[in-house]
Amino acid sequence: MSAALTRVLLTVIAFLAIITLVFLLLRLAPGGPFDGERRLPPDIEANLRAAYHLNEPLPQQYLRYLSALARGDLGPSFRQKDFTVNELVARGLPVSLALGSGALVVALLLGLPLGLVAGMQPGTRLDRGLMALAGLGIALPAIILGPIAVLVFAVELDWLPAAGSDSAAHFVLPIVTLALPWVTAIARVLRTSTAETLSLPHIRTAYGKGLPTRRIVLSHVLPLALVPVIAFLGPATAGLLTGSVVVEQVFELPGIGRYFVQAALNRDYTLVMGVTIVYASLLLICNLLADLIVLWLDPRARARVKTRVTTPT
Amino acid sequence: MLRRFFALILIACAGFSSAIADTLRLGNPGEPETLDPHRYNLRLEETILTDLFLGLTTFDAAGQTVPGAAERWETSADGLRWTFHLRPGLKWSDGTPLTAEDFVYAFRRLLDPRTAASLAYFMYPLANAEAVNAGRLPATALGAVARDAQTLVLTLEKPYPYLPERLLYPTAFPVPSHVIEKVGDDWVKPEHWVSNGAFTLVDWQPQAAVRLKINPHFAATGLEPASVSGVDYLPIASEQNAWNRYRAGEVDAISAFPSSELDAARKEFTRDLRLSPLLSSMYLVFNTRRPPFNDVRVREAVALAIDQKVLVGPVQRAENRASTSFVPALVSEYEPQSMPGAELARDARLERARALLAAAGHDAAQPLTLTLRGFSGSETKRTLLAIAGFLDSIGVEARLQQSELKVHFADLRRGDFDVALAGWFGENNPEHYLSLWASTTGDVNYGAFADPEFDARMSAAAEEADLQRRNALLADAEAVGIANFPVVPLYSVTVRRLVNPRLDGWIDNARDVHPTRFLRLR
Repeated sequence: MSAALTRVLLTVIAFLAIITLVFLLLRLAPGGPFDGERRLPPDIEANLRAAYHLNEPLPQQYLRYLSALARGDLGPSFRQKDFTVNELVARGLPVSLALGSGALVVALLLGLPLGLVAGMQPGTRLDRGLMALAGLGIALPAIILGPIAVLVFAVELDWLPAAGSDSAAHFVLPIVTLALPWVTAIARVLRTSTAETLSLPHIRTAYGKGLPTRRIVLSHVLPLALVPVIAFLGPATAGLLTGSVVVEQVFELPGIGRYFVQAALNRDYTLVMGVTIVYASLLLICNLLADLIVLWLDPRARARVKTRVTTPT
Repeated sequence: MLRRFFALILIACAGFSSAIADTLRLGNPGEPETLDPHRYNLRLEETILTDLFLGLTTFDAAGQTVPGAAERWETSADGLRWTFHLRPGLKWSDGTPLTAEDFVYAFRRLLDPRTAASLAYFMYPLANAEAVNAGRLPATALGAVARDAQTLVLTLEKPYPYLPERLLYPTAFPVPSHVIEKVGDDWVKPEHWVSNGAFTLVDWQPQAAVRLKINPHFAATGLEPASVSGVDYLPIASEQNAWNRYRAGEVDAISAFPSSELDAARKEFTRDLRLSPLLSSMYLVFNTRRPPFNDVRVREAVALAIDQKVLVGPVQRAENRASTSFVPALVSEYEPQSMPGAELARDARLERARALLAAAGHDAAQPLTLTLRGFSGSETKRTLLAIAGFLDSIGVEARLQQSELKVHFADLRRGDFDVALAGWFGENNPEHYLSLWASTTGDVNYGAFADPEFDARMSAAAEEADLQRRNALLADAEAVGIANFPVVPLYSVTVRRLVNPRLDGWIDNARDVHPTRFLRLR
């Protein structure tokens, strides 16, 4: 109970620290939100600053922001003048979530079989071949893989659109680009844990009893071997969602990652803050969920926590 | 399951391709920040707003200024009073009649301090506009009055013969008071949208597309209505993405592509490639607050060392046009004034530059060192490297510094630089460029150049109502100004576009303006 409370408190503190840090960093960056391609006479700049409360002292701006945030109001966007930050996040988040969850599914569909097959025969040529192939996924970041995929599949072969978000087909290349490094990562984690599980005494006993391999793998190896994968999925999901910043830029998908980059370049203070808050919440939630699932799956972890919680300190 | 998924994709693709049949898909170099004509700030917003609204004057297919919502106008002898006669039967896109009162409402809204319009100063030529915008006078004091429903009278602070051109900008567009009074700032949402241009707003998905469809009431103006049923503006900020998407056949026209692909475009897209010189002036500016750049001899030496032709030729290879005058050669009815020494051969220029530097106390023992600033990008880097090379030939050592566009111009406004790359775009009017050197201009006179004689000539020109005579006075001012080398003129930009050859009605022009109502798909 007290451990859970501590955790919640720490989360809130981390959350506030993130908000404060971003708030200050943005205002320290040179260039302001109203520096455009044309000149701005002083009277006009004064009008603009007053309209967005930028003429107030910094602590007052900070408190104004926090109190609006408490009401769920992320404020007006400084640069997207026709939208509030809430409206922009509401439009961008579904696109980012579709991209991220699509990539997660692809990463699991490819990564799990790859890791399992390699892990069942550790050290063999098949294992090394698969892992070398998987290594490519890590060696090619999205910023390189994306443009190559566009050149090959959109420009040369003309199978898929180069960029945009008009149809489901527009999501194929971005999802695959975003998923590939995570296919590799998931395969590697599962390979290691499968190999380790195979050497456990009760698995060897199962083989000794003459159980069919399929049954041993499905009911004895996989449940144990999956635990580290699930623990890994917390940060992986978060990584997929935030990793979309690059992929959304390359494929011009209208997700919050694209807003984030544009807003940072434009010094759109409120939009950067809004997207940061969304990202921070996603990260915290994903990590929390992964922790809970691991507790539920693995009796050893449950026991560890129980001891920790019940032992008086 | 899998089969159904692919079927869905096919259906989605089919829907996508039938929707574009009569709808143009145009690449715009970024996401608009607003579609409120009074709060806009960017050229890419002007492009969309020009389709959505009709001002008193407007563009023809070749980017020339022609009568728009006003069918004609008269000017008083002193150039201070302009009487505009609106076309009969003007309507908003919801059918509401549009009157001169709508224009009065719009000018007052633009200059209301609460609108916080960043380009409100575009209409400062109107009498009392500056005072209204600063909150010193009520909006009713503004020099814009509706004599009757069809007649609008604009009174100016000083004569301004460039007014018809100034009225092309969205800052002079009417806005639907009947909608704004009802729904407030939400009037820009597609569900409330009402405008008076050839098109009206259907949908705006941020970072994805702004979709317009034809305005059925536009035909009543008597002006040529659109022949396509709609247009989608896609924000394509990266030139590389624009190039990829055009090659993949996803857009009908793009506004730019990487200069490194120019040779490929010449081979692959002979009929699509459009290279057209833009009204623009790219230049190096000296910070005259800082020694030794307060010394005209040093400024002249740096200017003489630079070879504009080599810069735009072998270095940039982007078809930009070398320029030795600050006002672009494309400005009509104007004689641009070259910097002194521009006519000399390369060797003579360098010799004179070295002599000037020596006279200012810089030689091999005490070389002049400076920081040369520019914005980010590989094209800019090549330009800066070449300039550093030119300076090296007269013994000047230049350190390069590139920063993000916004930081670059913020630092220029603050006067935090030695010598920096800058540019000024857009108008067909010499005053627009030369006003940057006036000592009263403020922070966009980045180098804080001040010359009483130049100022005096600019003030004299500002009193002249006749366009030819005013331009002649301005040419005198340019000659006086450039002799003091506040800047080194470098080049005019050439726009690199790819345009679907099936798109009729596209006419290259110096403003790079292409209203969609003149475009047709063959």
